[in-house]
Amino acid sequence: MRLRSRAILVVGILLAGVVSAWHLGLDSSSIWPTAERWTVLGRFLSAAFMPTLTSQSDLAINIVPRTLQAMWTTVIFAVAAMSLSLVGGIALGVLASERWWSLFPVPRAVRPVLYGSVRTLIAFMRSIHEILWAIGLLAAFGLTTVAAVIAIAIPYAGTLAKVFSEMLDEAPEDAAEALRMAGAGSLQIFVFGLIPRAIPDMGAYAFYRFECALRSAAILGFFGFETLGKYIHQSCGELYFREAWTYLYALVLLIVIVEWWSGAVRRKLTVA
Amino acid sequence: MKSVEQLYRERPVNRFGRVSTLLMLGLVAFAWTSGVFDFGALFTERAQGNFTRFLTELRPYPLQGNAWDWGVAGEWLDEQLSGKVGAAILATLAFSIAAIVLAALMGLAISLFASRNLSSPEPFLPRPRAPTPTLRRCWDAVVWLSRGWLIFARAIPEYVWAFVLLIVLGPSAWPGVLALALHNAGILGRLFAEVTENSDPRTSRALRALGASRFQIATTAIWPQSMNRFLLFFFYRWETCVREATVLGLLGFAGLGYYILEAKAALYWDRIALWTLIGSLLIVAGDLLSAWARRLVR
Repeated sequence: MRLRSRAILVVGILLAGVVSAWHLGLDSSSIWPTAERWTVLGRFLSAAFMPTLTSQSDLAINIVPRTLQAMWTTVIFAVAAMSLSLVGGIALGVLASERWWSLFPVPRAVRPVLYGSVRTLIAFMRSIHEILWAIGLLAAFGLTTVAAVIAIAIPYAGTLAKVFSEMLDEAPEDAAEALRMAGAGSLQIFVFGLIPRAIPDMGAYAFYRFECALRSAAILGFFGFETLGKYIHQSCGELYFREAWTYLYALVLLIVIVEWWSGAVRRKLTVA
Repeated sequence: MKSVEQLYRERPVNRFGRVSTLLMLGLVAFAWTSGVFDFGALFTERAQGNFTRFLTELRPYPLQGNAWDWGVAGEWLDEQLSGKVGAAILATLAFSIAAIVLAALMGLAISLFASRNLSSPEPFLPRPRAPTPTLRRCWDAVVWLSRGWLIFARAIPEYVWAFVLLIVLGPSAWPGVLALALHNAGILGRLFAEVTENSDPRTSRALRALGASRFQIATTAIWPQSMNRFLLFFFYRWETCVREATVLGLLGFAGLGYYILEAKAALYWDRIALWTLIGSLLIVAGDLLSAWARRLVR
């Protein structure tokens, strides 16, 4: 990209930001808090430095077990959702890759139609937010945990499938070539030549998505599931900010641990 | 020449990756056997009845129980969308753009403090005299504080930020924009800091030798050479901002999600499906635009 056109792009972006802010009515008067807002804001910010371990509505209740339980439920929801979306993502990812269809005696003109239609399906799955999937699925099936997990799994399967198909199409061909020389069949070449070459990247990406799944699982608590979101929703609604901060910090802790873990896996898998 | 057995024995083994995969498989097995998830709940008579009723309610209201008629469907569509859809799409887009620009500016500012090569006692030049330990520790603290802040900002999901800020700041567009901006500033700040740390130090060194300040080095040496990567990340996060902006309306902000909230309160599933589909078209359009822009800067 030429430097001048890049400068125009950057200025354009900043202008778009200003125009958008103006369109939304973002001015200093709407953020500058009134006296009443100041007290709420002050209480919220000062509560950040004193998260509580006992319930603010009933001092006799210790919220540590509840917090740990909610953290664990969040993990379990994320893990279950990831396992479903991996199955769907791998299957759809294979079907959406150009290489898969080039293995079979399908006429060259038909192939784009085949992977194109799978890619359209993937785009549709991804383009609806997990919260909206949750609203629909919970309406269809009632407040069941499986519906919540499926709601996360559908858009995640779409995202995984898109990225996996790109990884499969870009995987090094050396092993596949060697297998072809040795007389392997099409399916053998794909399964033993291409997939193993793409697996480190796919695994690394799946671990990164797990981190995102944790956040999504936490949000689904807003719908009444026992994840961290439920308690954040509850305590903020009652303006028990010290309690809210405890749950927020619990979520941050969870994310930090998994971010470290997935980061370490990614470094090991992609560098080695 | 090595035998196949020898090659197999000498292949690189990634133990950390294996342990992680095993741990993950164990978690998966535990999750599905813990009894929290019951697939049977989807197939009870009540759930099945609920599901079939739900499917009929997805049809446009005037057509429920009638044969499909394009004329009636068109009228219904016109009635639902007229005067609303353009404004809703504009508001959603405005949310995403205002938020991502704010996020990029915040991320850019914090990345200066979070990158180790700039936040050091003597950036880019070996000093004749070694810095005092106190000075070194102060700069380390700057790096860790700004990184801690970035981690915190991105650990909280946009939707949770929006909900909390709505309560704290009161109703206006600010909580929504700030929510998207804070989460994305956490992500962009880290990515920008990584790019800054990996930038070619030669220009920075030359400028430092001439006595340039840290800020001058950043704006004249580091940012110009990293701008393409910054823009790449910027458009990649804008894509997710559009996605998140469509659901912000569920908390009461203007935009597509607001009509979903409205229809949900009255249980009009046909309208919910319609607005969800419009949102999905907007997201696909945003994806295509972002992919085009990223090809442009690559």
